[in-house]
Amino acid sequence: MLVLSRKLGEIIAIGDRISVTVLEVKDNKVRLGIEAPKEMRIYRQEIHLKVQQENAKAAGWNVGDLENVVNLMDSERKG
Amino acid sequence: MLVQTSRFGEQEVETDKIIYIPGGIVGFPTETRYVLLTPPKPGPFLWLQSVGNASLAFLVVDSKDHFPEYRFSLTEEEYLSLELAPASEVISLLVVTMAPEPHEITVNLQGPIVLNVDRMLARQIVLDGTEFSVRHPFLEPSRKKSADSRKNF
Repeated sequence: MLVLSRKLGEIIAIGDRISVTVLEVKDNKVRLGIEAPKEMRIYRQEIHLKVQQENAKAAGWNVGDLENVVNLMDSERKG
Repeated sequence: MLVQTSRFGEQEVETDKIIYIPGGIVGFPTETRYVLLTPPKPGPFLWLQSVGNASLAFLVVDSKDHFPEYRFSLTEEEYLSLELAPASEVISLLVVTMAPEPHEITVNLQGPIVLNVDRMLARQIVLDGTEFSVRHPFLEPSRKKSADSRKNF
């Protein structure tokens, strides 16, 4: 891993089309400004993990809950 | 062809109904072929069943039916990988986390599955941004507030 130190307002360029600017440093939090081409999706790493964990949870559904919920929703609708 | 499912037994499916998800669903990279079926008593839910793994299936809803104001942009790379064209029919499926009680059911707004219906090609997109949640309530706490659905994002 390449490790670089940056001060407030300084920039790291990654290739010609990506730049990361240090916008704010406060306590243990760093705010970064990222400029990158539109074709790149940028997200915080933990979001990917959250989606993965929610998928795993969602995949555990069972037919009993589904039928129960559909029946309850039906009866609520009919009032 | 016949698709084996652990929840609803054997299902006969036309081969042109198979949805190809080259990257798989996030966390399930090896299963890339799915069919979208309707459970026997569906309510609002659709059932995305893996063709290769009988026990792997997700409940999903079509975002436009339930969250009409839900919007996000695709990157150029995503648009191209889905072989989209300006006239393509596109559906965003939201993965449902089922629960015993209707009001505990959530949908994942941070990981929509984008389906190019014309190509039967799909991809789960991971969205950052504070307006979306992985566990957004499927039903509004009170039905009267349904016009104000974005407030809770």
